[in-house]
Amino acid sequence: MNIRFKPKVFSSLFYLVFCITSISFGQSDPTGERRVTGTFAITNATVTIAPGKTQQGATIIIKNGLIEAIGSNLRIPIDAQTIKGDSLFVYPGFIDGATSIGVLRPNDPERPANFDPSNPPDEFAGITPWRSVLDHYDIKNSQINDWRKVGFTVAQIVPEGGMLPGKSAIVTYGGKESNNILAKNTALAARFRSTGGGRGMYPGTQLGIMAKFRDLYKNAELSSQHMRLFASNSGLSRPEINKTLEAFFPVLDKSIPVLYEVSNDLELRRAVMLQKENGFRLVVAGITDMDFALDAIKSSNAQVLVSFRLPNDKTANSNTEGLSDEMKARTQKVKDAYIQILGEAGKLEAAGIPFGFTSLGGRSNEMYKNIRLMIANGLSENAALAALTINNANILGIQKFAGTLEKGKLANMVISTAPLFAEEAQIKYVVADGYVFEYEVNNKKSNNNGNGKAVDLSGIWDYTSDTPAGSSGGTMEIKRDGTSYKGTISYDNPSGSGKASSPMNNIILSGNNLSFTFNVSAGGMSLEVSVSGEITDGDFSGSMSLSEFGSFPFNAVKKPNHLNQ
Amino acid sequence: MKMIKYILSAFLILGCFVTIAQTQKGSVLIKNATVLTVTNGTLENTDVLVENGIIKRIGKNLNASNIQCIDGTGKYLMPGIIDAHSHVALDAVNEATAPITSEVKMGDVVNPYDIGIYRALAGGVTISHAMHGSANAIGGQNITLKHRYGTSNPEDLHMKDAPRTIKFALGENPTRVHGRGNGIQPRTRMGVDAVIRNGFNEAIQYKKAWADYENAQKQKGAKPVPPKYDSRLATLADVLDGKIIIHCHSYRADEIYALINTCREFGIKNIVFSHVNEGFKVAPELAEYTMGASVFADWWAYKFEVYYSTAYNAAILMENGVITSINSDSGELIRHLYHEAGKAQRYGQLDDDQTLALITINPAKQLGIADKVGSIEEGKQADLVLFDGHPLSVYAIPQMTFVDGVKYFDINEDPDDMRLKVSASEALEPIFLREHEHRCMHGVDFFFTNFGRNLFNHTH
Repeated sequence: MNIRFKPKVFSSLFYLVFCITSISFGQSDPTGERRVTGTFAITNATVTIAPGKTQQGATIIIKNGLIEAIGSNLRIPIDAQTIKGDSLFVYPGFIDGATSIGVLRPNDPERPANFDPSNPPDEFAGITPWRSVLDHYDIKNSQINDWRKVGFTVAQIVPEGGMLPGKSAIVTYGGKESNNILAKNTALAARFRSTGGGRGMYPGTQLGIMAKFRDLYKNAELSSQHMRLFASNSGLSRPEINKTLEAFFPVLDKSIPVLYEVSNDLELRRAVMLQKENGFRLVVAGITDMDFALDAIKSSNAQVLVSFRLPNDKTANSNTEGLSDEMKARTQKVKDAYIQILGEAGKLEAAGIPFGFTSLGGRSNEMYKNIRLMIANGLSENAALAALTINNANILGIQKFAGTLEKGKLANMVISTAPLFAEEAQIKYVVADGYVFEYEVNNKKSNNNGNGKAVDLSGIWDYTSDTPAGSSGGTMEIKRDGTSYKGTISYDNPSGSGKASSPMNNIILSGNNLSFTFNVSAGGMSLEVSVSGEITDGDFSGSMSLSEFGSFPFNAVKKPNHLNQ
Repeated sequence: MKMIKYILSAFLILGCFVTIAQTQKGSVLIKNATVLTVTNGTLENTDVLVENGIIKRIGKNLNASNIQCIDGTGKYLMPGIIDAHSHVALDAVNEATAPITSEVKMGDVVNPYDIGIYRALAGGVTISHAMHGSANAIGGQNITLKHRYGTSNPEDLHMKDAPRTIKFALGENPTRVHGRGNGIQPRTRMGVDAVIRNGFNEAIQYKKAWADYENAQKQKGAKPVPPKYDSRLATLADVLDGKIIIHCHSYRADEIYALINTCREFGIKNIVFSHVNEGFKVAPELAEYTMGASVFADWWAYKFEVYYSTAYNAAILMENGVITSINSDSGELIRHLYHEAGKAQRYGQLDDDQTLALITINPAKQLGIADKVGSIEEGKQADLVLFDGHPLSVYAIPQMTFVDGVKYFDINEDPDDMRLKVSASEALEPIFLREHEHRCMHGVDFFFTNFGRNLFNHTH
């Protein structure tokens, strides 16, 4: 049964399931899917209750989805399943300040024959602030698993669409018995992008988007004023009910913020400009280049969600020998810009701005690597953890029940084999909404191939991938290129029969971990596929992620070297 | 009561200072230069003293302590060049989606990282009028920029004491984009005039609706219902009230004269015509009813409506008493507007002061800032350029450029790479072949795909 998110259907279904469960408790469960117990005890672990507050040898009791107790010498309930926490490290479950994982983009309405692009109806123009993201959320999206696997337990999901795509919501990444909704209509999402690639209709550029936002905001104020007058006086013309303007009302009374997705410092300043003119609560999400806008962030009191996406180091392998002085200087500037970006999170911390992380624009398999880079460039581990936990709880207004490990809070936690941001740390368990998810941990040392030799990628690899469309495969040909690698990958031609191939980009080998991307063009659009995983003795095992379609297993075997010649 | 007034006005003045004082102001003494004041002739071997961004004194043997002194011997000092029509430092140029977009503001999309600002400084340009494009009959509100290169805050570039201006456009561009492109009005020059008239008339009604509402509010016990807010019409109402100067893209004499008449009908006096290739045919009318014409020196024939043109245009206009300026409309031309002005002199035999006025005090008048910049006078803002020779010589090269007394360009301290923000994800940033072109139709290439354009066609 595949149930789409219609809240009404869901709540009645939820009710039904709940009744059946309570009545039939103790009866047999023919599906075998119901868990044996919801009570857990994690014993003798190193528990970080909140950034900077760590307790050794502590036990955590989880019951009914909540943290029942944390401490030493606790009595373990008789129905508890015990997880031995010796040598494990427990942290509060991560909160994603804003994400589009699992969010589907609603279809644009079809234009009528007499469509006037200079004055389109709101829905055509990407102005749909009345939409709830929950109506366009796919709880079964496989990427949710990827993000839970790196530690996320709660996320604010942001709608897809145009300049005002709708209202966001907060969900947990818990068990499949629940609809996992924590709160709806938590922020009014906004962005400086318009629908239809821009110029087709009004507003087509940031010029029009800024002006349109101002007009909508002002008219929402006037509309709400009119409604108040109408409610308490007779003899007035009736207010025109307008769902776009009504969607602004909770923003006007500051009960929810505007969540502005911004892509650089100039867009951040534009969002701050709108905030200063209109006085709403502002959360900016996905910001980069914040080094150029620290003054604007500080003066605006905006809450800040930082993307942990980082650019690749374009100059890492560049050889400046023999280049002209001008090219050397240019290369150095690119390198400086890269270093500056690595240090930005640390500078935000130093400026006293309590920011959170957002997965917008980022990849789950790069998160730890990137946060480690930020830490190496000035961010403290405590601030990094806070950005994943308590800061986002505060920004989302859910600090009462999430963000730290305390009695009475939701049982959300991340359990790793080493201190969280250590290179060798691996996630062993994630507890989300009281549900325990266990992950495979392998005991390999980094930088070798199990037999003490560094991994050599070069050669021909056969791979297979499994997608809902079936199993397919091809070859990867990888060659050394100085200290890095280059390669091509073949795959079933999406627009016809036979094989197509693309160059492999961003090939990064770090220890046993290999990641790369390639572009497939299908149906007139170019799709970026990103692959990452681990190499063990010439076997590659990992996953491939196709932007919004989800991620799927990807395994490859290197052909013996004599066949490569 | 009087006391309270004094205190209030003191606060207001203080408030202004606080907001304006955010940008850097410099002090400098330039000694013994040939000073081309533009409004007061040429002063040989003269010193100019700048204190805190303002020209304090002009004279001989000036001294000042603790102020940087620059030897201007053998050099020429002129007012900072002002470009009345530019699209430098903008992230977006055209909101080309509706025939009237008076609500959009170029001040929203200023990009302080544009290397074009520095290049303009290297050409002696200290102020540019960053305009909306010409896709719409009534475009957006422009922003006058001071080239304070080096900041990451776009507002630092805004010339906050400049009046508001707005872009209008006549002729082929708006009719092509909206009429032929989208099948809506305007499709002809008559349609453009109708769109503008309708806009003005709606603005009159809009203004009345708000005035009625505000009057009704003053009645005791009244509960009037507020009208809808519409920044598009509110802006046009400000145009009608003379609070905003129109800068209108135009080429043909008939459309220029028609808009003059429309403006007269609506009581609008603050209008400047831009490009104006056929302006010489309606020079007396331009002189009598407008704030002037901003033209090209010798640029034409890039589309049908621009064939009837002459390099004598600037001179004819000026001799007929039209406030005339020469603009760039281009990130390339902006680097040598002094050459462009020189062309007008070469063809029309204007004298040096007239010629320099084309790129200094006259564009300042057209932007409503002539009381602050555009000439070297005591009390004016210290936007200055030092040339190694007379700026109307083809051999002259700008040496130093000052804005508010702060030196932003010095040919002797001019590193190869002046970018403020470098992309970390591009080892080599792409170079756009079309960057040097006129940018009036920036962003609306889409509408021109069927009109035989190629990569190097002009699009303004």
